[in-house]
This record gives sequence, structure tokens and C-alpha cells, in this order.
Amino acid sequence: MNDTNHPSDDPQLGALLRASRPSPGLPPHFQQNVWRRIEAAAAPAQSGSWLEALANLILRPRFAVALAAVILLAGVSAGTWQGRQTARHEAQVNYLASVVPHAGR
Amino acid sequence: MNRSLIILIGALALGAAIFTGSYLTARQATVACCTKPADDLDWLRTEFHLSDAEMARVRELHAGYKPKCAEMCGKIAAKKSELDALLNGTTNVTAEVQSKINELAALRAQCQAQMLQHFVTVSQAMPPAEGRRYLARMKELTLGSHEKMEHSMSGNTGHEHQP
Repeated sequence: MNDTNHPSDDPQLGALLRASRPSPGLPPHFQQNVWRRIEAAAAPAQSGSWLEALANLILRPRFAVALAAVILLAGVSAGTWQGRQTARHEAQVNYLASVVPHAGR
Repeated sequence: MNRSLIILIGALALGAAIFTGSYLTARQATVACCTKPADDLDWLRTEFHLSDAEMARVRELHAGYKPKCAEMCGKIAAKKSELDALLNGTTNVTAEVQSKINELAALRAQCQAQMLQHFVTVSQAMPPAEGRRYLARMKELTLGSHEKMEHSMSGNTGHEHQP
């Protein structure tokens, strides 16, 4: 088996084969276009697509959980403050009703 | 519709739901925990930072004032009934009706004076600064409403009485 000559070992034959199958030429400005596309993909989102950027931010699990926690905390704080005000007002009305005749009428 | 817009609207709705839910729950829990409807004087303790000793004195004064207040209210209610009975039978303001109105006004004035005296006595049972604040607040809450009504009728609203 080792004695037989493989066709690819023949340099002359190889050169002949390459010449018979010419590679197609690249389109004009091929290299420039490739670089342009690489730069566009690597560049940050433009201001025009802020809606998309915001949506992408919200879809990040960490950000979404943090935002939900902040909203929850704000709701609890506002509710507690309002609850205290209401309780205070009710206590005041109770006192007034006990000392002022016809209070609240 | 744009996918990003749908995501943002959904996030806004979810955020609003979380805020509303937590706000309402916290408010209800706070009102339930901080309101003591059984104690009429709870407001005084918290609002004017009274000690137990001051609170005991205020309770004593309050207990002494309530029967007097109830008695005065009874007298006013009886006088009002008399006036109503007189007004039912007449279309004019007779001398008798005028007399009843005067008697009712006198009773109300007496009641108000008694109430103010009680506020002054209670304010003296408090630390001086808190006592002054209490008295000012009670004047505002009890007499202030009448003053506002009189002020609104005295010409600022364009409704003027002819001399």
C-alpha cells in the first residue's frame, strides 16, 4: 500500500487542479462592509431604540426583582404613613366626640 | 404592537398592582394596629406626649367633665324640642319663639364656656408647652369651625348682609 503514489502528493497535479477551479472573486467593498457590520454589532444601543433598551433592562431578572422590591417598599411606606395619619385622625375625632357636644355633625 | 412596548406596559401594570396591593395592606394593618376606639383619650397621650401621671390626671378631669357635658346636652335637647313644638304651630317668629331662641342660645353659650373651661383645666394638667399647644388646637377645632362659617358669610364669598 505504501508503494502506491497518492495523487495529492504530486505537486504538479495539485497546481493543475487549483488552476482548473478558480475561486470566485469577492464583491466590491467586501472587507469594508464586514468591518462596518462588526462595528454596528459591537456599538451600544442608540438613543432611538431607548424603548427596546428599557424593555431589555426590565427583562433582566436581577433588575426586575430589585425594581419590584423598591416598588413594594414604597407601597408599604406610603401605606404605613397614611395608616398612621388615619389612625391619628380617628383618635382625634373620638376625643372630640367625647368632649364636644354634637361633634362631627 | 411593538414587543418592547408590550413589555413596558406589562411591567407598568405589574408595578402599579404591587404598589397598590402593598399600600392598601400596609394602611389597613397600621389603622387596625394603631386605632384604639375604646379609649377616647388615646389621642391626647400620643399627640401631646403625656406621661402616665399626667394621663391619670387628665382622665380624672375628663371623667368629671362628662356628666356635666351630658347634663348640658340634655338641657339643650329639651330646649330645642320646646322650640320645635312652638315652630310647628306657627308661621311667624312670635315673642314666645324669640324667647325660646334666646334661651337656647344662652344654653349653648353656657355649654361652650363650660367646654372651654374644661380645655383650660386639662391644658394645665399638661407640661406648659404641650398645654398651650393643646389649648390652641382645641380652640381651632371647636371654635374655628364657627369662625370659618361666620367668615364665609361675612362677605368674602360675595354674600353680604345689608346693614
